[in-house]
Amino acid sequence: MQAVKQTSPYVRKDVSTKRMMIDVLIALIPVVAFAIYRFGWDAIIRILVSLVVMIGLEAIAFGMMQKPSKSEKWIERLKSRYENYTINNITASAVSAVIFAMLVPSKLPIYAVIAGASFGIIIAKMLFGGLGSNIFNVAAAGRIFIALALTNMFAGTYVGVDMVAGGTALTTLRSGLLFPSALNSYSISDLFFGNIPGAMGEISAAAILIGAAYLLIRRSADYRVMLSSTLTFMILMFLVGLKLYPGQALDYTLYQLFAGGLMFGVVFMITDPVTSPVTRPGRWLYGLMVGALVVLIRLFGAYPEGFAFALLFSNMFVPLIDYPKWATNKIKPAFVASYVVLLVILGLVVFFGVGGAV
Amino acid sequence: MIAKTKNIPDGKKALKELPILHYLDADYVYYPVTSARCPEGETCVRGGQFVNVGEIVGTRKGAFFEQPMHATVSGEVVGYEKHIDQSGKVVDCLIVKNDRKYTLHESIAERSDEEIDALTKEEFIGIVKDAGLVGLGGSAFPTYIKLETKDTINVVIANGVECEPNLIADYSLMMNNPREVIKGLVYAMKASGAPKGIIAIKRKYKEIEERLKFALQEFTEYDIHVVKVGNFYPQGWELAMIKNALGIKIPQGELLSKYGVLNFNVSTLQSIYNAVKKRLPVLERLFTISGDGIHNKNFRTRIGTLVSDLVELAGGYKDEEKSKVMILGGPMMGTNILRDDVVMTHTTTSLIVMNENVEKEEPCIHCASCVYSCPVEIQPVQIMNAYKVRDKDALKMLEVNKCIECGLCSFVCPSKIHLTEYMRSGKRFASK
Repeated sequence: MQAVKQTSPYVRKDVSTKRMMIDVLIALIPVVAFAIYRFGWDAIIRILVSLVVMIGLEAIAFGMMQKPSKSEKWIERLKSRYENYTINNITASAVSAVIFAMLVPSKLPIYAVIAGASFGIIIAKMLFGGLGSNIFNVAAAGRIFIALALTNMFAGTYVGVDMVAGGTALTTLRSGLLFPSALNSYSISDLFFGNIPGAMGEISAAAILIGAAYLLIRRSADYRVMLSSTLTFMILMFLVGLKLYPGQALDYTLYQLFAGGLMFGVVFMITDPVTSPVTRPGRWLYGLMVGALVVLIRLFGAYPEGFAFALLFSNMFVPLIDYPKWATNKIKPAFVASYVVLLVILGLVVFFGVGGAV
Repeated sequence: MIAKTKNIPDGKKALKELPILHYLDADYVYYPVTSARCPEGETCVRGGQFVNVGEIVGTRKGAFFEQPMHATVSGEVVGYEKHIDQSGKVVDCLIVKNDRKYTLHESIAERSDEEIDALTKEEFIGIVKDAGLVGLGGSAFPTYIKLETKDTINVVIANGVECEPNLIADYSLMMNNPREVIKGLVYAMKASGAPKGIIAIKRKYKEIEERLKFALQEFTEYDIHVVKVGNFYPQGWELAMIKNALGIKIPQGELLSKYGVLNFNVSTLQSIYNAVKKRLPVLERLFTISGDGIHNKNFRTRIGTLVSDLVELAGGYKDEEKSKVMILGGPMMGTNILRDDVVMTHTTTSLIVMNENVEKEEPCIHCASCVYSCPVEIQPVQIMNAYKVRDKDALKMLEVNKCIECGLCSFVCPSKIHLTEYMRSGKRFASK
């Protein structure tokens, strides 16, 4: 019998990173299925292209980052580069790929999809050191890259069933159409079930909620970030609604919630653990930040939609939130108080900032 | 997943059902001259000398205390040999050849209840000190030092939580000898002047609660209660247990006695009972052999027995061709050993032999399961990152010294990162 050396603890819980990644993929199934139902081959092709690009480029970049063994045969050297290549290098980039594909409109040219996916995986992930080391959300970085570099391609690419190509429900609101009449074009139930134009994954709140429920039951996502960002968003939007459309504040909040990429982002992007803080208060704060930034971008920014921007911006603050000097896992009364105060200040800012009839 | 983990599979059910094998007469018994707490020691017997049960054969010397060693069999002193002790170190051991007569030393005699009632606090402490009693929960901290406290003690707690998986020593003690535990608790209360006693057990152990409550009917004159605490790990850690049982939150690093609390393991209390009532040192212990690499057995065995004898009696190892991990103690905090040539001491409770299961470390994905699960509320992942860049200031800011090495961070990590090892390295580095 051979006794081996180990240190305590000698038992491990039956969980794995692989399983967490696969859980996210499973949670994405309803959204993907709905996208395929709505957009057919357009959706399938864009998802596949994104998958191939992200997984393939990650594999190539991974190999280039490893030190090969000193061997005569090139095949041996190549093999030695992939000794540490694991299933996580595939599942994690598959998650990013599917999320990225869900963020683009169905008619976006294929090479724009390739460009965004490549940027996301190479610049935002592998250059930072690969899985676990990236600061920015991979899918959001890719999406923002093409949004800024290839802006014109997005014009007129949002398609819905029985609808002419045009902007999303949020651009409608943006283009000067006042809110109550926007409800005539897209009712709340249309927004909820996805009968609207928009990016492939964002349109059906129902499908996203199924995925969210699965993620939360499996505990593969942290409810704190989801809850914190959604609450912040809804509270602020409700205040805006009270100011602008006093009679329809609730309708306005729901319209803002279901239209655009907020729901999808809250469930699948902000919950990405790699780019989240690691403490309970940190995660509440992070959620607040994303939620508030989305509101501010939607109301005062140059873009009708702002989730990806808000996320990337908040990602930059994660190391600050996690700074050892103040990061703690205890939820102290002082933290709760400052959270509420922040919310109140933001509420005042948006309430008096949006203008309208006082 | 991303959540606080408190429950770990404990594997106790199957072990509880196994019969207890009595193996009390080994041919030779061994007494380590030094231990982890006592780096020095001396013996006061010669080769060829005859010793009786309970006779002092030597003294171990610690930093601020001395601890007598007692013979647990009668027989002839044969010599010395090197064996492994409970902490996994190779130590010199005194060998006594068992004559199987178990002649008691002349000092061993039962005290009557009247004598015990007349004992003063100093006398109690003297008895406990002379019997060489130590914390049998695993700490091996001298019991008399706890009792010696100058603070007023309001409550004495008998800790019967035993939250480590695979250990059933305390469970079977409370099941089979509840009276001795309670009497030990009564003596500890008398020695410390505490008006109140508490026996803390896990909530799921209904049978123990009934057993203890039944036994407590004889002790109605004392204020002793059974308190049920959570089933989770590490509930047996004294600060967590006291918080749940009494609602007193004691900061780490403070003495329990400052808060009017004394905490003893139930086995320690039984040993106090034996020392006070029967003038006996610790002679026997329950020893469990478990794990998937060995035939599982429970033993009642004499202090000083070699564990390799027990392994042989249990039927030896399973699947000899597979490499194994051998652990003394529990699977979360136990000591790794490479040979089974171990001497039973007061604090040896279990041998676990598992087939080796190599877990490959993946990159950390910041899921924060370790942070959420940490019972002392530090941030293992941050400490790991700080240690990797050898950042001493950050390690101190992150309070790495609070770590109790319970092993939960490594246990929960989905990437199978050995965080507990980073905590240990971090502690060493920060205090350098």
